[in-house]
Amino acid sequence: MMEGSSPTSQHQMHLSRRKRLEAIQLTIQLSFPLIKEYGFSRETLARSVLTLPEPPSAPLSDTAVNALFGEGDSARRTLINAWLDEGRAQMRLTPAESISEVLAGRLRYNEPVLSLLPEAFALLASPRSGLPPLDARPALRHATTIADDACHIVGDASVGHSWYTRRASIATVYVAAELHQMSSPETALQFLGSLLRSTTTLESAVAETSLFAEYVAKSWKGIIKSSGMV
Amino acid sequence: MLAVLLLRSASAFRRTIHSAAPLASAAYTHPISPSDPAVSSTPDGLTVEQRRALDAALRIDQAGEVAANYIYKGQFAVLGRERATGALIQEMWDQEKKHLDVMNKLQVQHRVRPTVLWDAAKVAGFGLGALTGLMGREAAMACTEAVETVIGEHYDDQLKEMEDMAPSHPSMPLLKDVIREFRDDELEHLSIAVINDSQKAPAHALLSSVIGAGCMVAIELCKRI
Repeated sequence: MMEGSSPTSQHQMHLSRRKRLEAIQLTIQLSFPLIKEYGFSRETLARSVLTLPEPPSAPLSDTAVNALFGEGDSARRTLINAWLDEGRAQMRLTPAESISEVLAGRLRYNEPVLSLLPEAFALLASPRSGLPPLDARPALRHATTIADDACHIVGDASVGHSWYTRRASIATVYVAAELHQMSSPETALQFLGSLLRSTTTLESAVAETSLFAEYVAKSWKGIIKSSGMV
Repeated sequence: MLAVLLLRSASAFRRTIHSAAPLASAAYTHPISPSDPAVSSTPDGLTVEQRRALDAALRIDQAGEVAANYIYKGQFAVLGRERATGALIQEMWDQEKKHLDVMNKLQVQHRVRPTVLWDAAKVAGFGLGALTGLMGREAAMACTEAVETVIGEHYDDQLKEMEDMAPSHPSMPLLKDVIREFRDDELEHLSIAVINDSQKAPAHALLSSVIGAGCMVAIELCKRI
């Protein structure tokens, strides 16, 4: 408990914090349909309130956007991250039986705002201050969370190191397909399909190599035993 | 041979008691309804700290069962030819196989990242089992005693941690029951090890301390990675 603060003021602070979070959530939800027209921008957030059933006479002021989302690019980053989270939520709601269908669905989610994505990802990758010049963590998080969600949706039951290799390969495929989509949207889904087929072939080859290595090891074990060395 | 008979009697007694109330793990080993939320979903109302705690707990438990399986595998590789000891190790190993199977399903259900040290747990477990097996039957039992002591205490700590975790979600009471069941199994192994002269092992105190310390280090590592 803060020194000098009463339970009433603590309660009020908690309520106002909760109200602020609710206002942020609502503003973001209202912003999604406007992204296509106004971009991942502070203007989108400001104009979101105009879509309320009883809208105010003017968009949110700059001061209001700062109060809810912070100054400068913080608001844009919040909007981009929320849009990416919404993409994953929609992945989970869309029925799919294969990784291919799940990832194809996720790529389709990009389509309405495709031209805005390069700048959005560049903003996420630029550090908030100082060095290093590029922050790869948001991109990694984006790819790995999509891969993990995709595995969960199709009921993947990998354990051990397979858990990691499966997700790493799906994340790599997805990132490559998404990059391809930004330059050549018409062929994105075919590109995704061909990458997934190559990955499956590679995974089978690795599994067969491991099996072969196991047989070799067992043979050597037998040879050593029969030689009487052990 | 007497120890094997004791173990089988104890297991049979427990099975008789539990035949009226099936084991919690049966929900995973013999699922009646695979789409039951208790075995197919994870609570989504956990706080960030609770989710981290649940992830870490299941990651450690799974790694522990991997290691336990490979410890018994290593011990069996050395002592398996001795009729009584081999049968004893095999019986405990079979229980650990069931534990690992259930832990793997819990990992998938609760979307937990398995430890990066998965393969290290296998190698270290097999090495420890084989080495203590080579030291003799009593040393193998001392190894079992030390490992099961740490695991049993660890499961107990987890039950306390999970006390207030999403009690209304159907998966949590089942998870606690499974952990309780596995804790009791591990303590049973501990008892069997003591009955089978674990404390007569050469340098028993030193062996137990080293193995116990190794287990604690492994737990801290698996909590994080």
